Amino acid sequence: MKLSFSRETILKPLQIVSGVVEKRQTSPILSNLLLQVSSGKLSLTGTDLEVQMFATVDIDSSDSGEITLPARKFVDICKSLPDNAQIQLSIDADKALIKSGRSRFSLTTLPANEYPSLDNIESNFSFEVSQNQLKRLIEQTQFSMAQQDVRYYLNGMLFEISANGLNTVATDGHRLAISHQEMAINITETRQIIIPRKGVLEIVRLLDDSDTPVIVTLSSNHVRLQLPDVSFISKLIDGKFPDYQQVIPRLDGTRIICSRALLHQAFSRASILSNEKYRGMRISFSENLIRATVHNPEQEEAEEEIEVEYHGEEFEIGFNVSYLLDALNAVKTEDAELYFTDSNHSCLICGVGDVKSRYVVMPMRL
Amino acid sequence: MLIHIDMDEFFAAVETLDHPELAGKAVIVGGNPQGRGVVSTANYAARRFGVHSAMPMAQAIRLCPQAVVRRGRMARYQEISSQIHAIFARYTPEIEPLSLDEAFLGISGSEKLFGSPVQIGRRIKQDIQTELGLIASVGVAPTKFIAKIASDLDKPDGFVFVAPEQVQDFLDPLPVARLWGVGKVTGAVFERLGIRTIGQVRQQSPQLMQRYFGNMGAHLLELANGIDPRPVVSERQAKSISNETTFPIDVVDAEVLRAKLMGLCEQVSGRLRQQGLKGRTVQLKLRYPDFQTLSRARRLPQASDHTDEIWQTCWQLFRDNWRAGQAIRLIGMGMSGLDEAAPATSRQADLFTAPQKQHLQVIDTITDDIQSRYGHHALQRGTSLRSQRTLSEKLKPKAK
Repeated sequence: MKLSFSRETILKPLQIVSGVVEKRQTSPILSNLLLQVSSGKLSLTGTDLEVQMFATVDIDSSDSGEITLPARKFVDICKSLPDNAQIQLSIDADKALIKSGRSRFSLTTLPANEYPSLDNIESNFSFEVSQNQLKRLIEQTQFSMAQQDVRYYLNGMLFEISANGLNTVATDGHRLAISHQEMAINITETRQIIIPRKGVLEIVRLLDDSDTPVIVTLSSNHVRLQLPDVSFISKLIDGKFPDYQQVIPRLDGTRIICSRALLHQAFSRASILSNEKYRGMRISFSENLIRATVHNPEQEEAEEEIEVEYHGEEFEIGFNVSYLLDALNAVKTEDAELYFTDSNHSCLICGVGDVKSRYVVMPMRL
Repeated sequence: MLIHIDMDEFFAAVETLDHPELAGKAVIVGGNPQGRGVVSTANYAARRFGVHSAMPMAQAIRLCPQAVVRRGRMARYQEISSQIHAIFARYTPEIEPLSLDEAFLGISGSEKLFGSPVQIGRRIKQDIQTELGLIASVGVAPTKFIAKIASDLDKPDGFVFVAPEQVQDFLDPLPVARLWGVGKVTGAVFERLGIRTIGQVRQQSPQLMQRYFGNMGAHLLELANGIDPRPVVSERQAKSISNETTFPIDVVDAEVLRAKLMGLCEQVSGRLRQQGLKGRTVQLKLRYPDFQTLSRARRLPQASDHTDEIWQTCWQLFRDNWRAGQAIRLIGMGMSGLDEAAPATSRQADLFTAPQKQHLQVIDTITDDIQSRYGHHALQRGTSLRSQRTLSEKLKPKAK
């Protein structure tokens, strides 16, 4: 098997595919990439058994065959060759030979038929969504996903597919982010799937701001996303996501309106002196003014006064300032709205005139 | 410098405070004279007849038949004790309670605010007397060991200050029995060696101490030299919170054991909540009539302060370690792994508290509220009430 390609054609798909390969694996073949050649196309596959990334590139070869190569080394070699270098790859017995200009590399291989596959998913449903919409849905919520929580179903993102659109929901149990994209999907009964954290992070890396469609296919325990030259499969988290609707406060109660940027800047200045671990910040409300104060164990303190639109009773509430900053960072409108009930209940944050993305943050006792 | 505070004849003093007609009379507070009840506190009027704490009640009544005998009202003592603690807390956050009526106070951080150690000690003693009408004995010293002796030395109504340079002069003439850890057995060894005072202990070589007292020898020598590096450990920094009880008679009845264990779980988890702590490990302690003691522990999936969660695990632990029919002399339980719940997670409210847990939290909050106002007995789980009833029936003198 002999093939030839330019550094530039292969670099991007190679990096996408090798991205899913874990640094430490349970079996040696999982550190390899699968290369398959037939009828002028090279397909690259990487997997960690939970997710699988698959990309194809057109190449100059009439050969066909398949082999697996050490992913990290293959990528590093291609990357470090000069721009526009022409690369020749040939397989000889159990070695892969890479030649480019005056460089030569000989890599160990493992047989392709041992490479694990997540493919052939029993599909029963698929729909299309544009890349930019899907990207927005994920970016608006992904920061709220849990990490290594014992409630394993929180270590990922909920995708809720219904006839009137797609919802993404992420929560770590202390705060929650939800984003909605209105679109017509041919589905009668609402479906919920939880894509694991790693899958979500890989998906968002694939997407750009174009409106090229992504085909999303679901089986009972996998999801597949197909883009023109790349396809991605992830196992689903088998668990029940909490009833998130119940914890989203309604858009009533006490409201403040404020410039999103001003609020974000003030909170992030105050956060400099917050306790590094607990990140507590106290907010007190009075007529058209909020005051944010933080203390740390070194007895240092910061205070920020922010003019806002607020008419209501004076009260105080505490939060992990990082959660508020994350939410305000995700709000895309000029002004932000914040809704409160009292100091024991959650706060809801969204953009003024944009309730597509909403953020719920639980308070902290200070 | 630190302070040791010891309330004088605490339970008896509280009884006299609440029942002024007892003033001037001999008062004994203690357990049931029909069972294994012992004297918790005797006031000085009763002590004159030779009554002392830990003496069997029956004997105490023989020595001082005219004494007014009271069953302890723990809820009330607890209440007064927390008022005393509130006074301590004005002067220092470093409070290490030893019992309801005794505590060490660290004051290193308080001197700038409240004056010298002696001044702080005097103010606390004064506050307790004017506000609560109770007398405390106070020892102010560089170490725990010396402070404790100091508070005892001039009791009742004592105030003893031992400056760092007076430590040796203070310790040397005291009898060896004053050293912590010297009881009957060690005392007898000192007696044989002709060592009577702490000053004499100090003159012994480490080799001799090692030969006669093993590893304890070095420790006794340090104490005798006034060296006692143990810091004041407030309950907030405590490693575990526990409670145990010795039954008046050995118990084989599973229902009584269950009830008592539940009562202990209620108290310990209540203390966790009071301190804003959560524990990760549930510990069980059983002592049999032959004094053999069994300790077992089990980890919770997550640190908890819920009475019911702790109780469920504790009960499971008990069932796994107790054979039906096995007699129990002492039962105890505790919670450790208190540092494993990051305060952040306990203070940060949760979006999805399981409905079950929310329910538990409501029960605990209401219970704590009622108990803090009306005492521990105002609201208890039905099961934990049963032990008292069953036991008191068993202890009733049989009708002839």
